[in-house]
Order: sequence, then C-alpha cells, then structure tokens
Amino acid sequence: MTRKSLLLAFAGTLIFGAAAYAHHSLAATYYPNKEVKLEGKIIDFLFRNPHSFLQIEAKDEKGVMQRWSLEWRASGQLGQQGIKRDTLKVGDEVSVTINPSRTADDHRGALKTLHRKSDGFGWGDNPGDTSE
Amino acid sequence: MRIHLAVPFLLCLTAFVPAHAQVDLSGVWADRITEDSYERSGGPPLGDYQGIPLNDAGRMKADSHDHSEWSLPEFQCRPHPGPYQWRALGAVRISQEIDPVSRELTAFHFEYLRSMERPVFMDGRPHPPEYAPHSWSGFSTGKWQGNMLVITTTHLKGAYLRRNGASFSDKATMMEYITRHGDYLLVTMIVTDPVWLEEPFIQTTNYQLDPHTQLSYYPCTVSEENISKAVPHFLPGQNPNLGADEIPAVGARGGAESTYPEFRLKLNAGTAKEPHSVAAKVAAAPVNLNAGGGINAGNGEIKVLPVQGNVYMLVGDGGNIAASIGRDGIVLVDTGVESMSAKLMAKVLELATAISSSPAPNRCVGLHCPGTPFGWSSPSLNAIISSPAPPKPVRFVINTSVDPDHIGGNERMAALPADAKIVGVTFPPVGIAPGATVIAHENVLTRMTEPGPGLKPAPSGALPTDSYHTDNYKLSEFVNGEGIRVIHEPAAHTDGDSMVFFRFSDVLVTGDIVNTESYPMIDVAKGGTIQGLLDALNHILDIAIPEFRSQGGTMIIPGHGRLCDIGDVANYRNMVAIIRDRVQDLKNKGMTVEQVKAAKPTMDYDGLYGSDAGPWTTSMFIDAVYRTLGKK
Repeated sequence: MTRKSLLLAFAGTLIFGAAAYAHHSLAATYYPNKEVKLEGKIIDFLFRNPHSFLQIEAKDEKGVMQRWSLEWRASGQLGQQGIKRDTLKVGDEVSVTINPSRTADDHRGALKTLHRKSDGFGWGDNPGDTSE
Repeated sequence: MRIHLAVPFLLCLTAFVPAHAQVDLSGVWADRITEDSYERSGGPPLGDYQGIPLNDAGRMKADSHDHSEWSLPEFQCRPHPGPYQWRALGAVRISQEIDPVSRELTAFHFEYLRSMERPVFMDGRPHPPEYAPHSWSGFSTGKWQGNMLVITTTHLKGAYLRRNGASFSDKATMMEYITRHGDYLLVTMIVTDPVWLEEPFIQTTNYQLDPHTQLSYYPCTVSEENISKAVPHFLPGQNPNLGADEIPAVGARGGAESTYPEFRLKLNAGTAKEPHSVAAKVAAAPVNLNAGGGINAGNGEIKVLPVQGNVYMLVGDGGNIAASIGRDGIVLVDTGVESMSAKLMAKVLELATAISSSPAPNRCVGLHCPGTPFGWSSPSLNAIISSPAPPKPVRFVINTSVDPDHIGGNERMAALPADAKIVGVTFPPVGIAPGATVIAHENVLTRMTEPGPGLKPAPSGALPTDSYHTDNYKLSEFVNGEGIRVIHEPAAHTDGDSMVFFRFSDVLVTGDIVNTESYPMIDVAKGGTIQGLLDALNHILDIAIPEFRSQGGTMIIPGHGRLCDIGDVANYRNMVAIIRDRVQDLKNKGMTVEQVKAAKPTMDYDGLYGSDAGPWTTSMFIDAVYRTLGKK
C-alpha cells in the first residue's frame, strides 16, 4: 500500500468516525468559516444522542441577553474525551466560541471551544485542548 | 435397471434446484462510500441539486430548505427515508424470513444504522389501500426477476433525496433492483414522483459483505435543540446559501437535463439551459393528483380501516368518520353526509356485529374441550353455530364541526331502535327522549339552530344534546374501557372545532384541521383563521407521541384523506407555516391579495394540496390566509 493510499484510508476513517452519528449536516446548519465568542452562564446541559446540547445565557452582539442552544458531540463521543454528564453544572460561567447558525435569529451554534472560568477546564476541537 | 438408477438421480438434482431463482442476500453489508463520499459524510453543499431531476415545484421546495429544520422535535429522531437510506452512513443487515413448514421465503428484513426495521414482503400480498398510513420506509413487496430482487415501495412519507432540501413527496414510488455479485451488492434505485420530479431519479450504490461489521445501538432522544419555535425555512429568493459553494449555477439547479452524460458536453460548449428560477416558472405549478375527490371520492362506498384499540376509520364519500366499537356500544365521531347515512348505519352495524360476535381466543381444538356444555364444541364453534348477540347501539355522537359532511347523518345515527338495550337497561326509559348523546361545541349548536339568512335550521333530532363551551370536555365515564376527551380549537377550521382523543386506543380524531389531500379549509365566515389552524396543528403535535423514530404511536384520523401519525402532521404543519410566512411577507410588502396569488406562494405544494375547482380551491385558501393575517 502506498503512502498516498494509506493517507486516504486514514482520512476516510476520520471522516466516517466523525460523521457516524451526524445524521444532519453540521456545515449546512452552521457557518463553518465564521466564529462568534460568547461569555455566559450554563442553564442546561443535554448530554444525549444524536447530539448533545449546551444551553447558556449570554448577550448577543447588540448586548441583549439571549438563551443560546449550542450543538455539541454525541454523548458517546464526549465520553471518550472524558466529559461526563456531571462535568458541567448549571450556573458555571463559561467562555465559548461557536460556528453561528445560518439562520441569524435562531441564537444557536456549533460549539468549537469551551473554557470554564472557575477552574480553567477547557474543551476544544484540537487534540490537547481538553484540560482539567 | 439403468432407468431405475436414472430416476432417483434426477429427483436428487431437482430437489436442490430452487423453486424460483432465489439468491441468499442475508448478512451484514457495509457501505464502502465509493460514490459521492463528500456529500455522504460531511453533507452535500446547500443548493446543489445536480443529478436530481427536480421540476420547478421541487426546486422551489428545495430552495426554501433551512437545515435547522432538523432541530424540530418531530424531526430530531426521524430516520433516513427509504429513498435516501442506501446513501446514508452505516451498514445494512439483511435477514430472510422463511416459513418453517413450506420453507418458502416470505419476507426480507432490512435494518440500517439509523432506521427502522424494514420488511420486504415476498409472499404475494398486495399493497395497502391509499387511505392506509405512510411510513418513512414505505410499504415494500418484492419478487425475483432472474437472480435480481425487484422491490416496489409505496406509502412513503415525504422526505429528502439529498440532505440539502431536494425532496420527494408522499406520492412517490420507489423501485429497487438488487443484484448480488459474490460478496458485492449492487443496488439500483429509481424514484418516480409526479409532484417534485420531472423524470425518475436513478441512483446506484454498492455494498460489500462484511462479517466483522455490526449494526450498533443508535439511541435518540428529543429535546429543545433550537430556542426558536418557528418552522425554519427561507422565503423565495432569500436563501443566502444558494450558489455559495462555487458550483456552476447551471448545473447546481438540477433538473432532468443535468442527469444525462451529454450535460457535461453542453456545459463545456455553453449550450446548457439557463438555471431555472421560481420567478420565471411560476406558471408551471403541477396539478394536484387528488383533484376530483381522491380518497374520499364519491363512489358510494364506505371502507373500513382498523386503526388501533377500539377505533376504526370509516372512509366514505365526502370524509372520514371514526367509530369506537366495544362492550358498551358505539361512539361515532362525525356522521358524514346525509345521503350516505343509511349506508353508514349498515356498515357500522355490520362492523359491530362482527366485533361483538367474535369468540374469545380458542385454546381448544377438537372434541371434549373442557368447560363447554356439550363436550363436543369449542368456544369458536359455539359462536359460529349459535346466533350472535346483536350489536350495542350508538351511544355517543361527537361532531368535530358544523359542516354538512360532519353532521349530515346525525339524525339517523342518534336515533335508537325502540327496543335497544344498553348494559341491561331498556332504552328509552320512560319520559326520556330516545337517541344517543350528541356532543359538539356550542358554536356548532348555535349555527345548526341559527344558520343565517335563507338557510334552514337543522332538525331537532340532529342537534347536539350536550354542547360545551370550555376548552375541554370529558365524557363522564369510560366508554368501551377508555376515557374520551373532546378538545376545542377556538379559531382553526371554524370557531367550533372539536378534536376527539381516545386515550387508551391512543387515537386522535382531528376533523378538518388536517386534510392530507387539500390545503386546510379555513372558513373565515365561521371564525376560522390561519393562526388558529396552525395553533391547532401544533396542539396535535403536542398530544401525539410516536411509537419510535417519529412514526406510529398516536394515530391521527384526519377529516379527509389517509390515516396519519405525528410525522405526517409535522410535514403538514410545516407546509402551513411556510405558506403563512410567505403570504405574510408579501402582504407586508403592500401587495393586494390578487398580487399575492399571482406570485404563487403555494406553487411547490400545489401538486399535493392545490385545486383549481371544487369546494376549496388554492385561490380560496390564499384568500383566507391573506384575510386572517394582520400586517406586521
């Protein structure tokens, strides 16, 4: 097997592994090339399949407080990264970056990074981002 | 002697020749994603319909797609539909169902990662009638054509061909041609849809036998994924995602031409057709296949569909009627048109007789069954040779609205025979008028007694005996072993609409709030509004609980059309919400109602629900929406 075909096979595994639980298209729901930063407080954490959702209260770009619904990975995938149902708690103050929804008024996004202010816990897309 | 030897030899040969050219397809087959891997894993580019023969209505439907629609509670656990399933990720497990006696193949069963178990019947059964419910996978039958399995699928719920809004309707038919080549499976799928496709959509997909692959558990729970309560969609011409992925528009817009190999040559030569646009093609609205009556067409017959529990759907001229039949008697929800009431009564009594005379399950076959008086009979035989008990009479009639096709048979249905008995009591008791209890909202009673200038009041025998004016009305005790709830919808089809919920049977009867063959009839003169109708549809979705993956569970009997479940009503609600938003937008721009009609805001759905003639036309629907919407 050549290096190129090995790379292709590896890339295929990555794609399949990431998408096995993605029943809808994330790129079709959220702008993959835009990022928004939010500072807020956790009000709900839905640790579930097919996607987990983190809901926070944070101000939008106009300074108006909104409830945001942030799509996260499936509970099984998060579990493999050491994130459990009780890792995050209601009331935790967090700083997050998201890919915003293609529908502007939806106040939702795909979670890219998360940082908890009280203890420095973090999660992100890149290997090593998760720290405790 | 040589002949004697040859005969058994030939018999042995024959014994191993299959009766039909059958091929064993059982096993777990893995998709290798060798076709269109990009769109199957990450998701297809928005607005890219190349290779899909969408017609103009189908393109308008696709262009309005907002992917946030997947966050609607009814769609979060929706499985991939039959026509998309072969291109979805994950393996397929195929198993065979063999009759243990005859050893005939009676069915194949297909299971996919995200989807329901899908049977393909091989026993020669016909497809269900058109008023039977639809499912995400549809109803499939198969037959062999040489070594190829040919599957025909009907009764599909409308859903997506590609995960970017390119869709097929619930009028679509799917053919699948499955051939096994050693350890490889070739699946050729052809989808025909008279509503959103101008030619059949053809797609092939390969699978490989993989004994190391297992279908994993796929849990799914519904929660609040989207804070917004609206139905996500884009207004015509306002989808910002079209053309965003640098795909040549002339190809991305799809259409039959884009499915042929010559299209590439035309692209290179610059002779391909210009991309279609809604504005340029508004005159091309498809014709509603239901025009002329559809399921409830006037053929003078009443058909019976057992729903679940005590409840049956009677499909008749002009509309649907629900009947609960059991030990306490008969409950009718609506009584149809007056001209059919004799046939309706005969059909209901025939059904009630059959049900009331059914024996208990026979656990004894042959002579000397214990517990029988003569020792030579069984409970079944006793029921056959004895004269069955007469059916119990109609005890309750509930009217969902004041329309003639809902109250027309009230008088005949509510009249009890003079010697009728209910639970051992002879009716009518002295001094009490004979007849069943007729329940309706008081606005129905008012309109029946005071129908307006020039109209004749309903006869007294047809009037509601128990009208109510609250949000809810509960029958005071169980009937046929279950509670029955009557729910008022204050401004939907009219201001007197009732929905009836059979709590144990888990069947909701909606009256004209749902009509699978027409735009909802909003009777503005009787208090109907578009927003009230939408509220009522959302109320149905609040009450209904699916059995699994957004289908089954609470069954919903519409006023007209086929038996539904939560998935069907979600599709219908989305259509109503999308058209409401479009008309609102045009009204906000200052358009008159005639200008709104000329803009054809319903064009993508006209093939399913529209009509140019009859009692409820597309023009009348737009008119009602326009009139009952305020300007925002």
